[in-house]
Amino acid sequence: MTSESAAFNFRPTATPQEAAAWSRRQVLATDIRAVRGRAYPRVTGMFREKSWVFFEILLPFLATSAFVFVYRAIQAPPEYIGFVVLGGAMTAFWLNVIWMMAQQLWWEKSQGNLELYFAAPMNIMSVLLGMAVGGFVMSSTRAAAVLVIATTLFGVTFEVEQWALLLVVFFLTLAALYGLGMVLASLFLMWGREAWHLTQLLMEPVYFVSGLNFPVGRLGIVGSLAISLLPLAVGLDAMRQLAFADAAYPLGTPSPDVEAVILLGMTVVFLLIARLTLRILERLARKEGRLSIRWQ
Amino acid sequence: MSGMDVADGLRAPAWGGFDRSRTTGGGARDLIRSFWVATRLGWQMEANWTDPVLFFIYSVAKPVSSALILVLMLEVIGAGGRPDYRAFVIVGSALWSFVISGIAGLAWSILDDRERYRMLRYVYVSPSDFLVVLLGRGVARTAVGAMGALITLAVGVVALGVPFDPGRIDWPLLVVVMALGLAAIVAIAIMLAAICLQTRQESWSYPEAVSGALFLVSGAVFPLAVLPTPLQAVGLLTPLSWWVEGVRHALFPGALTALGGPGSFFESVSGRAGPSGIEIVVALLATGTVATLASVAVFRVSDRRAKDRGLLDQTTGS
Repeated sequence: MTSESAAFNFRPTATPQEAAAWSRRQVLATDIRAVRGRAYPRVTGMFREKSWVFFEILLPFLATSAFVFVYRAIQAPPEYIGFVVLGGAMTAFWLNVIWMMAQQLWWEKSQGNLELYFAAPMNIMSVLLGMAVGGFVMSSTRAAAVLVIATTLFGVTFEVEQWALLLVVFFLTLAALYGLGMVLASLFLMWGREAWHLTQLLMEPVYFVSGLNFPVGRLGIVGSLAISLLPLAVGLDAMRQLAFADAAYPLGTPSPDVEAVILLGMTVVFLLIARLTLRILERLARKEGRLSIRWQ
Repeated sequence: MSGMDVADGLRAPAWGGFDRSRTTGGGARDLIRSFWVATRLGWQMEANWTDPVLFFIYSVAKPVSSALILVLMLEVIGAGGRPDYRAFVIVGSALWSFVISGIAGLAWSILDDRERYRMLRYVYVSPSDFLVVLLGRGVARTAVGAMGALITLAVGVVALGVPFDPGRIDWPLLVVVMALGLAAIVAIAIMLAAICLQTRQESWSYPEAVSGALFLVSGAVFPLAVLPTPLQAVGLLTPLSWWVEGVRHALFPGALTALGGPGSFFESVSGRAGPSGIEIVVALLATGTVATLASVAVFRVSDRRAKDRGLLDQTTGS
């Protein structure tokens, strides 16, 4: 028997109040179980539904390739092809945040699961973290595939001088992205059916202001705003500067270490906001009985 | 049923027996009615979630942003100074928003009804023809896509300096290629809807993925000549390539060709720099017919398999 499962052993108690008074260890073990439980269907689903390899790796790779050929058609410098490839890989995480994080609580409400989540003795953040972990596995596979295939096919050469900083920036970008996903999840739950449509607004427009296929600094003030608000914009810009250290990178954006600090700030702020909004939502949902109202 | 108010068409025959003629339905009249009701339902679902201003922003933000991404890519490299190439990418990008919406409409109807509202089984067993209902549901999204495409073109002409002369439009060609192109988009959409009938809830992103892949071989935003020869050949077999080329031909006579050009596969096969209007129409008709026949076949197989395996009322999740 593992130490974690020991936390769930039956302990006879004198009163229901005593039974409800959980130790820190029990709380933590339950939350970890919730994370694992919520990540499980996403990871297992990857192996059960094989079609995703075709539809979510191969086809998006072809879409990324289209932008590579746009640059080839206009004889762009080779590093721009690398920018597109890097952008294509990072899109996987953004799509995952939008489709499988932001919408998920509203979706769970429509499916009838949300009331069970709120009723279960766990922190709702664990459920969101579980979604993020499961989604991360899926998205990483797609991102890695796009990166490897495109790098090989299009002969992209990365010139990295600061590997450690690149890795830090990458993971901070993911942390900030999934933090934003948690905030959006609670907002979308509040907005209901509009959320489904608003998802569309978070795709191409965000790609544009994040400089998905070109250096975001070229957008001027819009680019600066994006860097201060959107993890995708700041993360991509920092990673491009670090992964193509020898390229003539357009000026106008902060250095990668400053962008790493921005990402760290975003992560903390988004997680705090997510925690706050989830609490408010839970209270509202219990007070107004909206947990079980579907399709609105 | 005595004592209840029953609609005329549903009331039992006066002689009290079973009227067999009712099971045959009303033919074309029923089909039109099903299509119309599905279209209205699709439009309500698509448009009544917000006020008209936000709906308008929502409808045009995506295609306009897509076009701006491409325009910025040209600007960054310094190719933005070529108005012909700018017009090329803006037209291609605008038309592509139409493709994405058209393809997504049908596939999302399946997923909406099966996974979210859990009504697919009831829609399926209703007397309406399932395919007609699906087509009707897809109309609204296609209309939104068409509006986005028009606005993107307008933004291109008004704000991005696309040289456009309404007096030079080849209207007959435009009307013919738009009709054939729409049919081809619907055919691809039916094929994808058939696939979504077989897959799980996460298939929401499949229409985007499929249209992204077709984007590569359709010459929407770059001439096919930059692709390897086998991919150029695939592009020439795709109706969407001919549709985009036809619309460009009609709106901007004498503009850059996506299918031909120096060193292209088309040039090596035909010996000419680019296709003529008639060739475009014939090729679009031929490739569109093949796509339509294939889509109907795929839909029938998928439909049978879905019934066989109980996929119509399954819900999934992850």
